[in-house]
Amino acid sequence: MLKSCAVSRLCRPLCSSLSLSSPNSLCLKPQVPLFLRPPIYSTRLSDLRKWHDWAKSLASSIGSTFERLDNGPDSSHLCRELKWLMEDAVEDHSLLHQMGVESDRRVKTRADLEELYNLWKQRIEERRPFQYIVGCEHWRDLVLSVQEGVLIPRPETELIVDLVCDAVSKNEVLKGGIWADLGTGSGALAIGICKILGSGGRLIATDLSAAAVAVAAYNVQRYSLQDIIELREGSWFKPLDDVEGKLAGLVSNPPYIPSTDISGLQAEVSRHEPRLALDAGVDGMDALFHLCDGAVSFLKPGGFFAFETNGEKQCRALVDYMENNRSGSFCKLEIVPDFAGIQRFVTGYRRQAI
Amino acid sequence: MSKFLQRSCRRSRVNFQRLRILFSSSSGFSSFLHKSWGNHSESHHVLTPSSWFWFASKYRHFSHSFPRETILVSTGSFAATELSTSDGLTVEGILANNWTILPENESDWKSHATALAQSIHVIKRRLQWKNLIVRCTLLSAELNKPDLWDDPVHAGKISREHGSLLGKMKEVNALEQELLEHIDMIKLAREEKDVELESDLLKALLNMRRNSKEKELEAMLSGEQDPCSCYIEVQAGAGGTESMDWAAMVMQMYKSWAQRRGYKVTVMDEMPGEIAGIKRATIKVDGEFAFGYAKAEIGVHRLVRISPFDSNKRRHTSFAAVAVIPILGNEASRVQINESDLRIERFRAGGAGGQHVNTTESAVRIIHIPTGVTATCQNERSQHQNKASAMAVLQSRLDQLEMARQAQFNAQHTQSLTDITWGNQIRSYVLHPYRMVKDVRTNYEVSDPDSVLNGDLDSFIFSYLSASLDKEEYDA
Repeated sequence: MLKSCAVSRLCRPLCSSLSLSSPNSLCLKPQVPLFLRPPIYSTRLSDLRKWHDWAKSLASSIGSTFERLDNGPDSSHLCRELKWLMEDAVEDHSLLHQMGVESDRRVKTRADLEELYNLWKQRIEERRPFQYIVGCEHWRDLVLSVQEGVLIPRPETELIVDLVCDAVSKNEVLKGGIWADLGTGSGALAIGICKILGSGGRLIATDLSAAAVAVAAYNVQRYSLQDIIELREGSWFKPLDDVEGKLAGLVSNPPYIPSTDISGLQAEVSRHEPRLALDAGVDGMDALFHLCDGAVSFLKPGGFFAFETNGEKQCRALVDYMENNRSGSFCKLEIVPDFAGIQRFVTGYRRQAI
Repeated sequence: MSKFLQRSCRRSRVNFQRLRILFSSSSGFSSFLHKSWGNHSESHHVLTPSSWFWFASKYRHFSHSFPRETILVSTGSFAATELSTSDGLTVEGILANNWTILPENESDWKSHATALAQSIHVIKRRLQWKNLIVRCTLLSAELNKPDLWDDPVHAGKISREHGSLLGKMKEVNALEQELLEHIDMIKLAREEKDVELESDLLKALLNMRRNSKEKELEAMLSGEQDPCSCYIEVQAGAGGTESMDWAAMVMQMYKSWAQRRGYKVTVMDEMPGEIAGIKRATIKVDGEFAFGYAKAEIGVHRLVRISPFDSNKRRHTSFAAVAVIPILGNEASRVQINESDLRIERFRAGGAGGQHVNTTESAVRIIHIPTGVTATCQNERSQHQNKASAMAVLQSRLDQLEMARQAQFNAQHTQSLTDITWGNQIRSYVLHPYRMVKDVRTNYEVSDPDSVLNGDLDSFIFSYLSASLDKEEYDA
């Protein structure tokens, strides 16, 4: 009874923001990540410890159950997440070391204890992703706000920023041109790339989801890049009419999972992350082919692109498509593996006009 | 007291008063020295203690008051001359007198002077004074070679080392000179029955005595890497949960020790044990002399206790190995790493990766292929940061490897690496059947393991550092 009551209270700001996510509502208010909330709650160290011990034993009880079930987190991952939740929730980290000793001391927190109990219950029982629990994801050197309705940026995608960095260092001209990040989600790629382009850069980030645009705008604001990054709501190239044939660079981490695979994914993904950002038709190539077609007309000659894919099969299919169906449009096509050795990215350039 | 001095004092009563005023407005003599020696003609008019001695030295009555430049810059002549007071008392002489050292609060100049002389003796021993002078002379000769700057890297290294050695010598020298000057002054003040001046001088001696203790410690850390920050790594030995728990206790001990010393502690990597404790962990300790102190902890630490993980309540012995790696501050001396020599691995559950998986696991392992050296970081929250941290650890490991290689050429201190083997136990912590912590290298022991495990390690560290300096001296 208590639980359901608390959960509904917790979810309210979230649900209301989601219910508003119709394209015409531009006044979406993104959630503030836990670590940025004011430390207005106070609790006894001993009570915090009680919560921590409870949470830890709950995490330990999972063992490798989730891992066997759907390749989900095991208890050691969950324990580490618990440590991070503590770091985000408690104002003075030095007190965390004294949890066992000075139990009468009070400690200031950014969420009250009841909420912390509920959050951890959601993590374990509902498999709510840790990043939605704390409202942020650490990605590269950034801390990005995320919430339900917005894809949590993946570590693999960090590499696209390095690929852009390489391309820009080889050809300085690209630095001064207009860049685009399509399906920006939390804005991770857009912000990561802008840090490389520097103050002279310009980037347009688009997303079909109003929730994503709102969260991306919040993140852009947090890194004071609103003069460099422009956010536009809409599908892929639709909001980009004014820059057709002018883009110096184009990046995207589009949905690439085949529709039939979605239900078999890890519960954190299939139950909680937006299907819009994951599902890409029967073979998972719908969005990638569309991006490929658009790149032909939107990139200027010599313009660079990098797309993330589902793996080797999609990379090959995409390169085949570019070479056969779009022959003469692209050059220096490359398949780049991620850190795990999976062929993950396709990069290349729009061919120079002859 | 020389007759000349008595005469000159009587003659210049006014100047003596002037001296008092100047003395009481300054924290020590050495600051005067720099000022007054710069302009000899002026020093006839403004009588500071040193210039006054200089004035007198024209008549060769004060053997330690030859021009300062000669003492400090030319190490050759410095080595040959010993400083002394006006009546020929040297630092060695003070020690030979065997005056009793009384507690600090006893106002006795002989006691203060003897304590200071002992400190100077300890500092010189720790700095390996004779070797230092020889090395400094060699470096001076090298620096005077006309073709030195043909190799700027080498030249830079030589002049840096020369500067640092000279700096150390100057400091000890200044301390010595200050002590002897104070003794002269005290004798003078007594003869003049100037009680106030005498008490001021005693206070100054007391201050010097207190500061010298710190200088003794600093002299212990005169190695090139000693001022660096460092990584401390703890690895559990064989023996399952009990030894993993021990490794976690050892790591906690270092975290507390570092926090007590005001160092910043960052966990870089931690492999938790299945039931309790850690298999392995690395922390970064940021702060001055972190490596200098922590290097005393390199080796194997042994625990004897009734294991809380043994339902039969038996006594267990477990081991944990500790490694300490300096983080070199000087960019030039770091090993250049080729990107192409690296293999970067990421721990992630197998499978498709990318959008398929949402995991907070973003550990990174970097392997330096030519050497096989690896570094892992999993404690940051983004893969990018884990990679950056792992690179920093890898860099320091390669630096250390390179240092060890160079040290083998110089046939000096190779022990830091060879000692990290299981045979090399450095300390025992016994919680049962009796309670004791004993360092097997120095035989230093305490009967309160709890305070040691709470980070009260300094006495162990100091005793080891000074013992190893003694050993070096003996070996030399």
